Amino acid sequence: MTVEPGHATAQPGSGHHPDHHHGVDADDFKRELGTDGTLTEEPYHPNPSTPTADRLQAIGEVVFLYTVCIAAALGLSALLVEATGGSSAEVFNALLDGSIRGPGRIGATIGVAVPLLLVAIGTIVSNRAGLVNIGQEGQLYIGAAFGAYFGTKLGWSGPWVILLLLVASVVGGALWAGIAGALRYTRNVPEVLTTLLLVTVAAQLVGYGLKNQWLLLAPAEGRANRQQISQQLPENTRIPRIEMFGNEFPISAFIAIALAFLIAAAMARTVWGLRLRMLGHNPRTAQRAGVAASRYGGGALLVSGAFAGLAGGMMLAGGDFGNYTLVPGFPAEIGWTGLLVALVSRQRASVAIVIAFVFAALRTGSGFLAATGVERRITDVVQGLLVLALLIPPALLYLRQRRRQMNSGGDRT
Amino acid sequence: MADLPTSGVHAGAGPSGPAPAGAAVRLDQICKRYGSVQACDNVDLVLQPGRVHGLLGENGAGKSTLMKILIGLVIPDSGAVTINGDRVRLRDPLDAAEHGIGMVHQHFSLVEPLRVWENVALGEDGKLHPSDVRDRIVEISDRYGLDVDPDAVVGELPVGMRQRVEIIKCLRRDPSIIIFDEPTSVLTPAESEQLFETLHQVVVDEGRAVALVSHKLDEILKATDEVTIMRQGRVVDHVLTDSVDASGLAAAMVGRAVSLRSERVALGVVDTDLDGAEVPQTEHESTPEVLRLDQVTLLNRDGRTVLDQLDLTVRAGEIVGVAGVEGNGQRPLADILSSLTDIDEGEIRVAGTKVPTGKAGAMARAGVGVIPEDRHDSGVVLDMSIAENLWLVDTKPVSRGGVLDHRTMNRAAATLIDEFEISCSGPDAPLFSLSGGNQQRVVLARELSNDPKVLVAAQPTRGLDVGAIEYMTDRLRRAAEDGVGVLLISSELEEILDLAHRIIVISDGRIIGEMDRNDADLERIGLMMGGQTV
Repeated sequence: MTVEPGHATAQPGSGHHPDHHHGVDADDFKRELGTDGTLTEEPYHPNPSTPTADRLQAIGEVVFLYTVCIAAALGLSALLVEATGGSSAEVFNALLDGSIRGPGRIGATIGVAVPLLLVAIGTIVSNRAGLVNIGQEGQLYIGAAFGAYFGTKLGWSGPWVILLLLVASVVGGALWAGIAGALRYTRNVPEVLTTLLLVTVAAQLVGYGLKNQWLLLAPAEGRANRQQISQQLPENTRIPRIEMFGNEFPISAFIAIALAFLIAAAMARTVWGLRLRMLGHNPRTAQRAGVAASRYGGGALLVSGAFAGLAGGMMLAGGDFGNYTLVPGFPAEIGWTGLLVALVSRQRASVAIVIAFVFAALRTGSGFLAATGVERRITDVVQGLLVLALLIPPALLYLRQRRRQMNSGGDRT
Repeated sequence: MADLPTSGVHAGAGPSGPAPAGAAVRLDQICKRYGSVQACDNVDLVLQPGRVHGLLGENGAGKSTLMKILIGLVIPDSGAVTINGDRVRLRDPLDAAEHGIGMVHQHFSLVEPLRVWENVALGEDGKLHPSDVRDRIVEISDRYGLDVDPDAVVGELPVGMRQRVEIIKCLRRDPSIIIFDEPTSVLTPAESEQLFETLHQVVVDEGRAVALVSHKLDEILKATDEVTIMRQGRVVDHVLTDSVDASGLAAAMVGRAVSLRSERVALGVVDTDLDGAEVPQTEHESTPEVLRLDQVTLLNRDGRTVLDQLDLTVRAGEIVGVAGVEGNGQRPLADILSSLTDIDEGEIRVAGTKVPTGKAGAMARAGVGVIPEDRHDSGVVLDMSIAENLWLVDTKPVSRGGVLDHRTMNRAAATLIDEFEISCSGPDAPLFSLSGGNQQRVVLARELSNDPKVLVAAQPTRGLDVGAIEYMTDRLRRAAEDGVGVLLISSELEEILDLAHRIIVISDGRIIGEMDRNDADLERIGLMMGGQTV
């Protein structure tokens, strides 16, 4: 077994064309001429050679995964409902009627989707910067409270107050997330903890405001006894609603969709987006390249809170929640569900538009479940199974992507 | 030399015949595939008791995979493992340990805050008897001359000492088969010498079988009895060490004749005849200073001194080599020059202007380019595209008003991809799809295209194959010729001797020697690397 180096050097002479390009060989190793005419051999890594075909295949995989998961969830749900003596067809019909099939229900679903989408966009911004903001529920509540104060307590009314109210909401949400940001970058407190804990603080704070007339509580007249709610927004200080094909929804839907595309574009096409992603993927490389973590990371947290705050403001002025009134428990878990929307859309703001609608449909649809006579606990499980079906594919895709990177990134043998 | 590449390599003890009766380990037709890469392709290997078997090959040749199979970390796709005549299946390292196989890892697997004896006892089952473990450590260190204090905290030990702990940890289980994976990469020449003495004792006096994995020819020639050479996952040759010379081995390893000086350097063949060096000696005293470190001191979190009043200058067009055993302050030095670490005392000037330390991007803006030791740590973003990675630091050429111009970006990226011969499917390909050598070229392309005043190259050729090493050294030389001041931080002495005009030796965070390349003397540098002032 004597080596013949000549054997290896002989090959490029015959197999190497001048116009031969890298990366599409079927061989495990490609050969190329080094700088001084000597031979370099490197392991061939399977690059996506035809991007469109590759993308189509990827989309096919995603569709397949979702189909399997949702089918499994529906199957399990049907089994469960039937086993407990209910009618599965009735349950699924109720879900569809409540979300999209019933007259005007699409509009109701859109109304719920708007704040979900806004929360999700904000979450995507902070996630991209590598930060885990999970306190949207609180930021949203503070945003709504700021909006309620400016909308009801100053005695102003008119369309321009809508703008003022929304700006106040944005500031409120950003402020609340900003506390977590300040703690993160001055005292090194993990933002996961602070944002989460601040949800409780926000609820108590707004609760206090709703008890005191100088803050948020509506004047005694025109309010049922001892109810702790704010005054209703005046008629002309509400976000206009439009009707399309028998469905009525606030025009803030268009704003939310525009913002989603705006953020998607900003992430991909601006220097800010590039730097934010850099920070999220590799903070040390970012630091060396001039991305100050406190500035960009803190900024991302502020933006993230601002979106949650805006969601709160739009919920208040949009009419689908609380009837233009700030009430205890106003956020109605939109902040938490928005996190799921961001998770399922796998950090892409444009995809979040669709996912927000799906989650909103699940929510409006479940409103009709009570009428089926199936026990509440069972319908809760059905909902949970459907949410799981939506969450499993992105988790699987994420894991696989990581594994691929580990395999190709570790070049050391 | 080496006009006939095959001349030095003879078909020595043929590995394909039946294994001699006493084979300690016999690997037959081992195959392992990762995706499209065949890491091991029908590999045969026989380890004999009482002999050191060298395993030689470039990075990526499959040596490490083969050893991981033997230690039970990797399960082969096919093939047979026979130990002392019994066919076995090694499912995990514990399995391998039960069959008497031990390994001294290249990257230490020690827990730094724990004491030596605690580390040695880690992974043992049952009740712990600290005094027994201590006694055993003392016994082993006496027998092999591996002097180490069982109660020392590992984190406070120098690298050479830590390797002793690794070896003791391995010997404590009394293995009949020992694998050494690139053991000298973190040692001074003197420490390497001592390691090979231990190796000799273990093999000759005690009849254990040893596999020595390495990509350094000198080491293989010095310490082994027979050698198996691997290339691209295959065994290309198996010879008795006596019957070969360096150029023959190099040719077999690379697959062609090796004559270029820089290649020989890349392969770890030290040119003892330093007078023959062809380093262009230019006068750099007249060129302006581009980098100046003044009394730079850095403490770590525990208040221990990591860098001690470092003074260092690099002039335009000069390559200054920082030699030293790994872990003596080279990494913090590069981190400071990457704005990743703030300093405690001193100041840094780039082209005469003081640069704030530890401030994001300040060094890069001042004109300090960096090829980091670990590009995945601070050189690239694996999840972003090649084009984006090329403009991480300075987006001005490819953006207007904060908006990226993707067309300009891709066009400019394509130019750089051509110029630096980066093999990829296009500027949009994610960086993780590239091989290590090509990722390194992306870093090089970015740092050089930013017109740096200073280029810090930290272990720039580590983990690259021979062709890529040649390319890198050539680029560094050209950068210096173009007037860039190059600070080459390397633990490969050969690399420094090959490239640097001026050499600085660093030990324990202090500069303990400085000399011109012409006055450089291997022995002297070797002693200094060990911490002795000469």
